[in-house]
Amino acid sequence: MVATWSAALHAAWQVFRKELIDALRDRRTLLVVLLSSVALGPLLLVGLSLVVADSEARADARELYAQGLDQAPTLRNYIERQGWALLDAPPDHEAALLSRSLGHAVLLVPADFEQELALGLAPRLELVSAAANQRAERSAAAVLRLLQGFSQEQSTLRLVMRGVSPSLLQPLHVDEHDLADPRARAAQFTRMLPFFVLMAVLYGALFAALDSTAGERERGSLEPLLMAPVARGALVLGKWGAVACMGMGVAVLSCFSFLPGQWLLRSETLAAMFQFGPREALLFLALLLPLAALLAALLMAVAIRCRSFKEAQANTTVVVLGVSLLPMVTIFNQGGEQGWHLWTPALAQITLMQRVLGGEALGLSDLALPLAVALAGSVICLVYVARQLRAAALK
Amino acid sequence: MIAVRALAKQFVQGSGRSRRVVQAVQAVDLLAADGCITGLLGPNGAGKTTTLRMIAGLVVPDAGSIHVKGIDVAARPQAAQAHLGVLSDARGLYPRLSARENIVYYGRLHGLSRDAAEARATLLGEMLEMRPLLDRRTEGFSQGERMKTALARALVHDPSHIILDEPTNGLDVLATRSLRDALRRLRDEQRKCIIFSSHIMQEVERLCDRVVVMSGGRSVAEGSVPELLARTGHDDFEACFVQLAFGGGVA
Repeated sequence: MVATWSAALHAAWQVFRKELIDALRDRRTLLVVLLSSVALGPLLLVGLSLVVADSEARADARELYAQGLDQAPTLRNYIERQGWALLDAPPDHEAALLSRSLGHAVLLVPADFEQELALGLAPRLELVSAAANQRAERSAAAVLRLLQGFSQEQSTLRLVMRGVSPSLLQPLHVDEHDLADPRARAAQFTRMLPFFVLMAVLYGALFAALDSTAGERERGSLEPLLMAPVARGALVLGKWGAVACMGMGVAVLSCFSFLPGQWLLRSETLAAMFQFGPREALLFLALLLPLAALLAALLMAVAIRCRSFKEAQANTTVVVLGVSLLPMVTIFNQGGEQGWHLWTPALAQITLMQRVLGGEALGLSDLALPLAVALAGSVICLVYVARQLRAAALK
Repeated sequence: MIAVRALAKQFVQGSGRSRRVVQAVQAVDLLAADGCITGLLGPNGAGKTTTLRMIAGLVVPDAGSIHVKGIDVAARPQAAQAHLGVLSDARGLYPRLSARENIVYYGRLHGLSRDAAEARATLLGEMLEMRPLLDRRTEGFSQGERMKTALARALVHDPSHIILDEPTNGLDVLATRSLRDALRRLRDEQRKCIIFSSHIMQEVERLCDRVVVMSGGRSVAEGSVPELLARTGHDDFEACFVQLAFGGGVA
């Protein structure tokens, strides 16, 4: 009995070694997977930090593009007092707004503005923006607040001149108090990171999984393999080990690529908020490694039924689609985290990785549940592959 | 020695209305002695490949028995496989591994140590005249080169019993000749028990000591080539085969 087990383990080890060497020699595929997984972290961070830095710069800039402001000295005075820079709006600003080349709303001041204001006739201002131009929309909101400030100042002055208390016009004050700590705010920007890491792990395992199952069938090497005096379970175990290793390797590389990736952060706010140290990397790995094992087994189970690599690629699209759609649940989900999220592979890992990025603590049970699900799923898939192996070799 | 008795196997194809039961093998008896090349001759679809797959432990028979070196294949398939070297219809190699690595991998799966497997690969490389090929990756190998590598892979554990399923398919004259010479040497020098399936008369006539003729999933005749010729009264082995396979059995 012991001899049988040790022979089976020896054979599984041989299969594992061979499959790993085989996969690592597929240089072109490997290069694409490695580049996308290792470069992914830093690239995403740099991209995000550029976006955030841009919006920070815009918020600080306080620039107003206007036309006809020279005829409205009161308004001009107010705007300058608020520390805004005044710029002349380009004559073709409408076209520029529509084509999104201009990222600022434009204020149009009529010629008789000052006169009407003095008469108390409530002059009309025009603020031009385009709903499809997000940057202009954001600046329009800021300009609106600025103009409301002017409006309020004017009405306050008029009331004071008539001996009425200005507080009549402002029956309440609102103090905003944001509960989210900086890391939780950063998590809004970095929500997508776990998703990309997850996809990298999936693609890392994909090609090895297809090659060791459907590829083996297509080459006609599965039949000779089954004629070796080795238990089918040992063959499957060795193959699965190699495929899972590929996925896990990509997981390790992409998680640790975030560490140096942080040096490239352009936005100081984001750099301060996005804290991804060795602890976070290890937590990510604790979540991703069991998932890599499960995805490897699942991909093999889907691919073993396919006669060719191409057919297997088409069939595994379902798995890829499932893994890429599940995280949508966290984006569209309005009711917060549900109990079943942690029971669902991929979704559980995404949810928990987002928690790690948000600076929340993970309990042991949070890690244990997805681990147990991944283990059980892997075993079911592997038993299925072992059962299918002989039928697959003959067809 | 390989002894096959009253072997039968049916396959079910399709499901529902298109469900069809195919009787691949109905009654096959076969005795292959050591130091002897036994030919399995039959037209396409006669059940040769299925019979060989059952001997190799890849397909479980519905009825009948198979013994390899006295080991019951149904009861101890892995023990029987350890004594078998099979060159099956499917001869896929791993294109990213060298010929030597392909051969050594199978040696390791058969439980050989790395050194022993390497030594066997070198020896077989000499025997099959493929020394220069050994350290090249098998990607881009010709049919003949692939066949030699697959044969070396099947023989890496020095099996006492060798099964070859239509090994000359797709080979040119020179490669066929060199394979024939290699098989003769294995028979004469090492007294291997060799089963060789084919649908080509000349090949069987030249190489095999005993011939089992198969037709419609049954073994219909058995004997040496001269015996079969005498039994049918033909001079020409092809005419003899056509009569045996299609014109009613002369058991």
